[in-house]
Amino acid sequence: MKFILSLFSIIFLFVNISSQDNPESFPFVDSSKITIAPPTSVIAEDFKYDNAEKLSITWIPSIDDQIGDNNKVKGYKIYRITDGGQPELIAEILPGSNNYLDEGLEENIWYSYFVSSISDNFEARSNTTESVTPKREWLNFDLKFLFLIALIISSSVIYYIRHASKGKKLFVRKIAGLEAVDDAIGRATEMGRPILFIPGIHDMDDVQTLAAITILGNVARQIADYDTKIRMPVSRSLVMTAARETIKAAYQTAGRPDAYSDDMVNYITDEQFGYVAAVDGIMVREKPATIFLLGAFFAESLILAETGNSIGAIQIAGTARPAQLPFFIAACDFTLIGEELFAASAYLSGEPKMLGSLKGQDIGKGIAMAAIVVGVLSATFGEIWDVQFLLDIKQYLLQFFTVR
Amino acid sequence: MEHFALWVAAFLTLGIISFLYKDNPWYKVTEAIFVGISAGYWVVVLFWDNFYGKFWVGKDNDSMLYVGGLLGLLMLMRLIPKIGWISRWPLAFIVGATSGLWMMNYFASNIMVQIQGTIVPLFSANFGEGMNAGYSTVIGNLVIFIGTFTGLVYFFFSKEHKGVYGVGARVGIFFLMITFGAAFGYTVMSRMSLLIGRLDFLFGDWLGMIK
Amino acid sequence: MSTRIKEIISMVIITAFVVVFYFGKINGWESIEFSATVSYICILLLLLALLWVLVLTLRGQLIGRRVVFLFVGISVTIPLFMSLEQKINVSPEVRSIYDTVIALPPGSRVLVSFDFDPPTAPELQPMAETFLQLCFERDLKVIIMGLWPQGPQQANLALEKVLDLDVIKEKNLQYGIDYVNLGFQTGNEFVIQRMGSSFKSMFNTDYRGTPYDDIPLVKNIKNFSNIDYSFNLSAGFPGTIEWVQIAVDRYGLLLSTGSTAVQAPQVYPYLNAGQLNGILGGMNGAAEFEKVTGFKGKGTKYMLSQSFSHIIVIAFIFIGNVAFFRSGRKSLLKR
Repeated sequence: MKFILSLFSIIFLFVNISSQDNPESFPFVDSSKITIAPPTSVIAEDFKYDNAEKLSITWIPSIDDQIGDNNKVKGYKIYRITDGGQPELIAEILPGSNNYLDEGLEENIWYSYFVSSISDNFEARSNTTESVTPKREWLNFDLKFLFLIALIISSSVIYYIRHASKGKKLFVRKIAGLEAVDDAIGRATEMGRPILFIPGIHDMDDVQTLAAITILGNVARQIADYDTKIRMPVSRSLVMTAARETIKAAYQTAGRPDAYSDDMVNYITDEQFGYVAAVDGIMVREKPATIFLLGAFFAESLILAETGNSIGAIQIAGTARPAQLPFFIAACDFTLIGEELFAASAYLSGEPKMLGSLKGQDIGKGIAMAAIVVGVLSATFGEIWDVQFLLDIKQYLLQFFTVR
Repeated sequence: MEHFALWVAAFLTLGIISFLYKDNPWYKVTEAIFVGISAGYWVVVLFWDNFYGKFWVGKDNDSMLYVGGLLGLLMLMRLIPKIGWISRWPLAFIVGATSGLWMMNYFASNIMVQIQGTIVPLFSANFGEGMNAGYSTVIGNLVIFIGTFTGLVYFFFSKEHKGVYGVGARVGIFFLMITFGAAFGYTVMSRMSLLIGRLDFLFGDWLGMIK
Repeated sequence: MSTRIKEIISMVIITAFVVVFYFGKINGWESIEFSATVSYICILLLLLALLWVLVLTLRGQLIGRRVVFLFVGISVTIPLFMSLEQKINVSPEVRSIYDTVIALPPGSRVLVSFDFDPPTAPELQPMAETFLQLCFERDLKVIIMGLWPQGPQQANLALEKVLDLDVIKEKNLQYGIDYVNLGFQTGNEFVIQRMGSSFKSMFNTDYRGTPYDDIPLVKNIKNFSNIDYSFNLSAGFPGTIEWVQIAVDRYGLLLSTGSTAVQAPQVYPYLNAGQLNGILGGMNGAAEFEKVTGFKGKGTKYMLSQSFSHIIVIAFIFIGNVAFFRSGRKSLLKR
């Protein structure tokens, strides 16, 4: 009796152990099903630095997931349980995968997941993860290097502004084209023809327009002294008011407030080519001796520069828009290329803020030049001589300048 | 109505093109129509899409719009000389907000990522099979490196362009001019495209001479 | 004959020409198409004319700017009548867009931003039509928006043309299910910024005034993370640069662009740095895209005129330099 009892116990124990390997299977295994092991160590956690809408699910692939044509695992199914509700199939992914990013979720809702490995006719489910909710972080530490660079450049700008405010001289190299400003104004005065000042077609929120208005201040001071006429058609109402204030202040400084008139600056239209058509008409009819084209320009740059060239005016242009520079260089007498426009406005105004900004930006350029030289030399010699230390430097620099 | 619209469009197109011959009343009329319609169009768009579409329709759902509306109202104080100084505050807000937003965008996209893209090996065994594949990458990387570096040298305002540094700046300006030439060529293509579009309208849609 | 009389006679001839051909169009006259022989004769005449200008320049007789304008006008117009075809090679940055789009599974959501207006339509409209046609043929869902006021209107023109094609008509596409036009939103780059969190906050309704939540295609789209691919048609500001700086670098959107040729050189650095999937640059880009997709549109049609005009420009640059050096030599000899 005892012997029979022990025999049956052993048999029962054996069947129990085999059935625990696969909780889904019955004690009497169906041999037509291709049974596989489930994925393990399934973890769901918050995806960092998002908008509280993503969760990351990772797992260790099924032990039956092998590379090759005989792989029994055909893929993985990912299920999501929202706030303790019913499981919902959210994705089916390829074998060999070990992670999934669930997106479009909502804050303060709790989600849990389980992952199933699938064969042709079998599905093995993992354990369910703990409930987790997407969170929003205060700071994105992935961007720490971006913050560092911005901090270095901003700090140097502030430092040099303070340096200049204390009256200390900041060296700015000579800018070709600036010497021509005085000659150009003199030419207009001698010929008795007006100066046409075009500050671009952008609004006051564009730094190029601000730079143009600063240069206008310097030009207006000379015009007020020489009693030269100025004409300034603008395409933005804010620019009109800022320009009027600038010219009015210049005339008051020159002691000739009565000579100023609001008609010196007039608003045309916001529309790009409508503005161009009107300015072209002004150029052809009034034939200014000097034309300043300073600020942000787009497609109208060539039209304006060519029309100015055709009437024989001396043209001084400056823009930071690379697409328009070729036309100004071809059609104008002097061109301030890119940042030279801002340097010119800093140079002419002598304002500590502008000079300090220029010097601070030079620090940024220095950092860029140093990084490029070190990076390229490390990459090159590291590849040629297979020096791991140099390749590590290159890799570190690449990571340093990564923002995504 | 379609005939009338075609003739008006053709009349205005030819009026603007007539400026190539010389300034004339036809061009002046077309210019005046264009300026007037564009000013009116922007008034309508800014009113319906900006003021009405954003502020008036959305103000009950989003109280922050009242702050924006107030700033907009303060901007109009410019029209009253005695209290015109108030309009500097919303202007400062606009300049400050856009500067702050743009600063980090430009730091990230135009500085960090571009420096990352410039750190390339001038030579590598991984450049590809055969001499030709390797050389084109070597030359390309060399151009990227020298062009970027000397361009930065040119725009460095803290040092006078003299000696070796001056040579570097000179190389930089050559690269800039070559770039401007390429950009000029691209832009010529763009302008020609616009002219082709207009001529296609005149000879195709208007006169039916081409398919 | 005085200049005034010449001008009047010219105006009369042009008016007569216009009236005759307009009435011909109304009466169903066939369009004019030059045969290959006539096309080659035109090319020969154009080259001979250029040669004549060069001879005149060498003789010291400089031509006026109006003659240059006339040459450009003729070189752009005559090819529109020719039956010749321009050979087009597809560049890698164009092929990259095509390969990525065809790899998208059916039902993928594609955001198309129309950031241009009618002046730049000759370059960008062919790109828009080809891209929409490709998306519809691949059963992709298209969400249209615009940061320029006329952008969505240009989108409607493109949709009208593409949906009229037989191959697309068969698919029986439904507005609101297969495609939607969310319309224009003012705010420039701030719109892109807000779309990173919520599309609905920027587009309460679509172009027709339908509430966002009532549109089946977009009601489940929260932000960029629900978009599989994006294509931006850009003529300036706001445009590709703002999309790259905000949508790509901050929110990881997969983006390609169709830019005007003016803007293309500025966006190539973004392609090299991996921030853009591909670029269609100007009319050339449009023609290349038409070639790789197999859809023949205006981009291909216009390329011959484009090439001719470029040859004229190159010829006049050469002639201009001849005149410049000749005048320099003369003054040297005088000294």
